[in-house]
Amino acid sequence: MNARRGALIASLAALALGLSACGGGDGGDNGSAGSGDGGEPIKVGIIADLTGATGDVGKPYNEGMLAYIDYRNANGGVDGRQIQATSNDYAYEVPKAEQLYKQYVNDGVVAVQGWGTGDTEALHTKVAQDELPFMSGSFAESLTDPAEAPYNFVSAPTYSDQMRIALNWINEDSGGDAEVAVFHHDSPFGLAPVADGEAWVSEKGYGLGYQAYAMPAGQQNYVGLLSQAQSQGAKYIVIQNVASPAAQVAKDIKAQGLDMKIVCLNWCANELFITTAGADVAEGHMGVQPFAPIAAEKPGHEEMVSYLEDKGQDPATKGTSWVQGWMVMHVMAEGMAKAAEDGEVDGPSIKEALETMGGIDTGGVIGDGTVEFSAESHRGSTSAGVYTMEGGKMVEVEAGATP
Amino acid sequence: MSNVTATGIYHRTYASELRLRSTRAEYVRLGLMVVLLLVLPFVLDNYWLSIVNTILIAVIGAVGLNILVGYTGQISLGQGGFMAVGAYSSAILAERMGMPVPVAIVLAVLLTAAIGTFFGLPGLRLKGLYLAIATLASQQIIEFVIRRWGWLTEDRGYITLDRLSIFGWTLPRESFEQSWYWILMLLALLAVLAARNLFRTGLGRSFMAVRDQDIAAEAIGVNLTTAKLTAFAVSSGFVGLAGALTAHYTETVTWEAFTLNVSITYLAMIIVGGLGSIAGAVYGAIFMSLLPVLIRTVADVVGPAAPWLSNQLPAIQNAVFGLVIILFLIIEPRGLNRLWERMKEYVRYWPFRY
Repeated sequence: MNARRGALIASLAALALGLSACGGGDGGDNGSAGSGDGGEPIKVGIIADLTGATGDVGKPYNEGMLAYIDYRNANGGVDGRQIQATSNDYAYEVPKAEQLYKQYVNDGVVAVQGWGTGDTEALHTKVAQDELPFMSGSFAESLTDPAEAPYNFVSAPTYSDQMRIALNWINEDSGGDAEVAVFHHDSPFGLAPVADGEAWVSEKGYGLGYQAYAMPAGQQNYVGLLSQAQSQGAKYIVIQNVASPAAQVAKDIKAQGLDMKIVCLNWCANELFITTAGADVAEGHMGVQPFAPIAAEKPGHEEMVSYLEDKGQDPATKGTSWVQGWMVMHVMAEGMAKAAEDGEVDGPSIKEALETMGGIDTGGVIGDGTVEFSAESHRGSTSAGVYTMEGGKMVEVEAGATP
Repeated sequence: MSNVTATGIYHRTYASELRLRSTRAEYVRLGLMVVLLLVLPFVLDNYWLSIVNTILIAVIGAVGLNILVGYTGQISLGQGGFMAVGAYSSAILAERMGMPVPVAIVLAVLLTAAIGTFFGLPGLRLKGLYLAIATLASQQIIEFVIRRWGWLTEDRGYITLDRLSIFGWTLPRESFEQSWYWILMLLALLAVLAARNLFRTGLGRSFMAVRDQDIAAEAIGVNLTTAKLTAFAVSSGFVGLAGALTAHYTETVTWEAFTLNVSITYLAMIIVGGLGSIAGAVYGAIFMSLLPVLIRTVADVVGPAAPWLSNQLPAIQNAVFGLVIILFLIIEPRGLNRLWERMKEYVRYWPFRY
């Protein structure tokens, strides 16, 4: 027995443990690293779903966001300062999002761009305590109330508003007496508009039947769910889920020869739904989409198109999710620019800028074109477009529809 | 066991034989460890300290699971569910019923122990794979309950908690992670000490007897029913504590943090660390919590050279995770703890093999 040698080994092990724990590192810098003229870069943290359950739309959303930052930095940044974004994948797992968030706070970001409803809700008290403005791909109603979530900003109409718009359209289309089945993702995201939709039907006195069904994850097909909807007598299926499972429902409807019309909300009302299902299968289904697709050629799309053409990419390949990412980042950057104009760019000043700056012009891309927050409401917009899938394209039926 | 010490160490009193440490090297290591743990919160930044804090919670959970799986031989896939019971009950008691947090945590521990005992009942009749499926059912049932019973979260799907405040003292915001570090370190130490000493008592020995040969255990007078159910209760108590601490530390409770994935991660911790060893549970918790963080750090460093790496990060993390478990099962089934012991033995006997 050699006690001294044991002690030596132990101290080496302790040292190694200490060293490995100290070797911290930064996240992958996906934004522009170049420094602008106007001083320090503005740091933003992005929590993205690239490979998780909602990765099919999460990845283009993230790409749109990074593209906007690239575009903005190349055009002078925010008040001469570059936006430095750190983007990491959290695979739609709440604990991973919490870990990333802590990393970003430690890196000294001034704002965070999140993604899912579950993680946004999980983080909303923390962002309030850390005073970091937080936008996300989640448009849940609970995030629009500053008393509840003071640092969360929802830049598009909420899922509940989209559901109301969908129900208004169904009421009109059906003549007021149809059965509606709501297929939703089995998560806080999916459940977000379900109860509000039911309340809307009774509030408006619509003669619509309303029944919600959770879409089980990892399903090969949704024939079972459709037969439940069929016994309900459903003619309309509102889907609150991402594009891939919604496209599967469309395929199953076609294969079973059912007479049902899908009304997709937000995350499945996009080109991915059409391409995954196939243009002939998607034909005639509907979508409520607050963000106008590039094909709609609104004024706000011009800078996207010119950016993409400069980069040698085809704008036609970029779906609505990409536009959403670009636009949400645009709204955040406008808030930063306003804060920079007034002085310091930090969490509280961006929040104040967003609340007091009035309408942010999105060139007709989000809802009726303007996103406006106030100290009483963080609901940026209440209007969305209604689209029909026609010949493999999203064709506008109604622009700027409100509940 | 731990009583196998170096030559030249003779116990002259019962007290000396009962000591957890008997050589000078062991005391030196203990001293170094204490210094390391005391210095840690002052040298680490908040990000790394937050990782240390999650590790400390994982240590409590892994020690709890090892009591059941490693020491009593009752496999459990219900870890995530039991953590959820601890988290939800503590959150509801503290936040909605206005109880002081320490009281809420104690009650949550007791409630989790009770529910764990209930779900342990099939363990009286089932063994091995069959028990695994029964505990899988408990995981699914608890997950179903926390997702579907609206009153648990007042129909919001999640519960938010105020920053921890203990009898009027609220954690300061600036030193949030540091304060939590001391609280969690204290509790993790207590948990480790309690578990370590549990297996020096008759009750702990009866758990091991059940694991090694249940019929023989019964023949020498171990009451199987009592032993198995107590093991479930004690283990669930530890796990409930880990769950309650998760709730107060993260300040949000959502079902998404307590899925089957959590159960599997914890099983991996105790397999990699070493089944049937408290130190192993600690090593496993540290290793499995640091693994994804280190993989991300590596991916960040080489990221610019290989962008596909950061794009596929979660997939790579899963693959490495699986690989590590397979490698440990093949190379050293008794885990990190056994590796560490072998290193110590090698040094001790050198230049001889044994």
